[in-house]
Amino acid sequence: MIRVFQIRRILKSVLLSTIFAIYIGSGASALDGPGISGKISDPDGKPLAGVAITLANNENTIQGLTDATGAFELAAPSAGKYTVSIDVATLPAGLTIAEPGPEREITFVQGPKVLIFKTQVGTSADQVAVKRDSKIPQLVVDGLLFGLTIALGAMGLNLIFGTTGLTNFSHGELLTYGAFTAWTLNYLVGLNMLIAVPLSLVISAFLWGWAQNRYLWKPLRRRGTGLMAMMIVSIGLALTLRYSALAIFGGSPRNYNQYAAQAGLDIFGVAITPKALIMAIIAIITLAIVLFWLKNSKIGKATRAVRDNPDLASATGINVEKVISYVWTLGGFLAALAGITVGINQDVSWRMGQILLLIMFASVTLGGLGTIYGALVGAITIGVLIQLSTLVLPTELKTVSALFVMIAILLFRPQGILGKRERVG
Amino acid sequence: MTTDLHQEHIDNSAKALIKADNLIAGYFPGVPILNGSDLYANEGELIGIIGPNGAGKSTLLKALFGLVKVWSGEVTLRGENITNMRADELVTRSIGFVPQNNNVFPSLTIEENLEMGCYQDPSKFVDSFERVSSLFPALKDRRKQKAGSLSGGERQMVAMGRALMMNPSVILLDEPSAGLSPALQDEVFIRVKDINKTGVTVIIVEQNAARCLQIVDRGYVLDQGQNAYTGTGRSLANDPKVIELYLGTLAKS
Ligand SMILES: Nc1ncnc2c1ncn2[C@@H]1O[C@H](COP(=O)(O)OP(=O)(O)OP(=O)(O)O)[C@@H](O)[C@H]1O
Ligand SMILES: [Mg+2]
Repeated sequence: MIRVFQIRRILKSVLLSTIFAIYIGSGASALDGPGISGKISDPDGKPLAGVAITLANNENTIQGLTDATGAFELAAPSAGKYTVSIDVATLPAGLTIAEPGPEREITFVQGPKVLIFKTQVGTSADQVAVKRDSKIPQLVVDGLLFGLTIALGAMGLNLIFGTTGLTNFSHGELLTYGAFTAWTLNYLVGLNMLIAVPLSLVISAFLWGWAQNRYLWKPLRRRGTGLMAMMIVSIGLALTLRYSALAIFGGSPRNYNQYAAQAGLDIFGVAITPKALIMAIIAIITLAIVLFWLKNSKIGKATRAVRDNPDLASATGINVEKVISYVWTLGGFLAALAGITVGINQDVSWRMGQILLLIMFASVTLGGLGTIYGALVGAITIGVLIQLSTLVLPTELKTVSALFVMIAILLFRPQGILGKRERVG
Repeated sequence: MTTDLHQEHIDNSAKALIKADNLIAGYFPGVPILNGSDLYANEGELIGIIGPNGAGKSTLLKALFGLVKVWSGEVTLRGENITNMRADELVTRSIGFVPQNNNVFPSLTIEENLEMGCYQDPSKFVDSFERVSSLFPALKDRRKQKAGSLSGGERQMVAMGRALMMNPSVILLDEPSAGLSPALQDEVFIRVKDINKTGVTVIIVEQNAARCLQIVDRGYVLDQGQNAYTGTGRSLANDPKVIELYLGTLAKS
C-alpha cells in the first residue's frame, strides 16, 4: 500500500543519504599539490614492491616505483589532465591489474588524488580480450550477480520499513557489521570460511538484528517516538556504527583469508569467478526460502498482515512486537549474507554499507514499497542498470545512476513496478 | 444528571461480563476525548452506542480494546482488570473487535484474513471457517480473492467473520453498516442479531441510530465523550429528547 507521505519520506531520505555520501566521500593524502598516491598489493593483501608507475601528459613524464610497503606517491608539476599507467611487466608473474585496468585518465583540479589499483590473478591479455569481445553480456551478468546481493539487503530493509514504518539509514551498517563479523572469525580467529560464514550469519541475526531492535527500536516505539525522529536516530546510528568500524578495523579494505583471489571461469565469453557463482546460488536459494516463508508460513502471513495494518493485526490477535522481532532477526541475517557476499567478491570495508544503502533504497522504491517481490525485482533491475550505466557514465558515477532511476520512478510510477494502487473504500 | 447515570451504572453493572468505569482517554496529552464514559454489557446482551459524529464512540471501543491509552478509569472483563492491555492479549481473553475503517488486510486473501482471525489457535480454523461461512456464504466461494479488491459490504463480512474465528465471548463492532445500501444495512443488522443469538455478547456502535435501537437490548447515547442517555433500545427510541437531539428526522419518518 503506497501512501504519499511514505514516498515523500523515502525521497527525503534519499536526498539526505546522497548528501551524506558526498560529504563523507572525500579522502586525505600526504601530497599537498596535484599528484597521486596509493598502494599496490597482491590479492592476498601482501604489498608489492618495485612496481613501476608512470604519470604523464603531453609535456611531462614522471616515473616511480612502489616502496617496500607497496606505496607509491608521484607529484604532478601542474594541474590538468594526465594518464597514469602501471607497467604490468613489473608485477609478479601471473598477476594483472583488475578492472578498470592498468591505465587511467585523471584530471587534477587542485589537490592530490588517491588511486586504487587492485591486482588479480590472470594475464592482461585475457582480460582485454574478454572486455572487448563481449562487454554487454558481461555487464548484464555482473549486474545480475550484484542485484542478487543487493536484493538480500533490500529485502530486510523493505520488511522492516513495511512492518514498522522505519526508514532505516543504518541498514547499510548491518551489511558492514555482518561482513566484519565474518572477517573477525575468519581472519582474526582463524576459522575456515565454511564455518565462519554460517556462524557469523547467526551471530549477526541475533546481535545486529534481534538485539538492535530489542534494545533500541522497541523501547522507542513503546515510547511512541515519531517516525521522523526514529529516522534521525537511524542516521546517527549509521554514523556511529560506521566510524566505530573505522576505529576498530581501520580504513584499508580487508580480505577474507580464503577465496580472495580466484581466476575467472569463461562461460560463453563471460568471465565469472566460481566464488561469485556460488554466492549467487546461495542468494537465490535464500531469497526463494524467504519468499516462500512470507507467502505460506503462519508468521510470514502475519508479517504481511502487520505490514498492511499493525493496529488491525493486533486487534486480530497477532503479537505485533513479536512479528517485528522476527523481521529484524531475518533482516540482520539477510544483510549479513549480503555483506559477506560483497566481502568475498570484493573486499570488506568500513564504508561498504554506506555505498550500498542508496542502491538498496532505490531497489525498494523501484520494486514497490512493501510488496513481497518488490525488493527482489527492484534490486535485480537496479543492479543491471548500474552496470550498464558504465557504458556511458564514468565508473565513479555508477551508483549515482541509482538515484536517477529512483527519482524517475517516484515521478512516473510511484507505486513501483509491482505495487498496485489500492482500491479505496 | 451525569452523576445519576454514573450511580445507576455502578448499581447495575456488578455482574457485567465487560465493564468500563469512568474512562478518561484521548490521543494527545491534555486533549481528552472520553470524559468519564461508563459502559457495561451482561453475558449475551446486545448493546448499542449511538451519538453524533465525533462524540467519541469509536474512541470508546478502542479504549475498551487497548488501542487507545486509558488515562484513568478501569476496564474489567469478568472482574479481571484489563485496562490498557495489548489488543492481542484481549483476543486471547476472547474479545473480538471490528474497527470502523481499514478493517481487512488488503494484500491478504479472504482465506488468509480469516486465518489471521485464529492466529493464536490455527487448529480452530477448519471448524470456525465452516461456522463463519454459514453466516456469510459469499465468503466461501471467493476465499482466494484478495481482500483489497472487495466492495465495502464484502469487506464488512470478512471483517466480522475474522473477528468471530476465535469464538469470542464479546465482540465490538464499529459501524458495521456504514457506507452500505439500505438493503445491505438490513442484512448486516440481521447478521448482528444472528451472531448475538449464538450467545455472543455484542457491543455495536451505529450511525443508523433508529435502526440500531430497534435491535439492541440496551443503548447508550454518547455526547462529547460522556453518556448523555442510557436505557433499553425501545425506551431510547421513544424518548422525545433523544429523538429531538440524536434521531432527528430519520426516526420520525
Ligand atoms: N487517531 C486519532 N488521532 C487523533 N484524534 C483522533 C483520532 N481518532 C479520533 N480522533 C478525534 O477524537 C474525536 C472522537 O473521534 P471518534 O472517532 O471517537 O468519534 P466517533 O464518535 O466514532 O465519530 P463518527 O461517528 O464520525 O465515527 C474526534 O474529535 C476526532 O478528531
Ligand atoms: Mg467512529
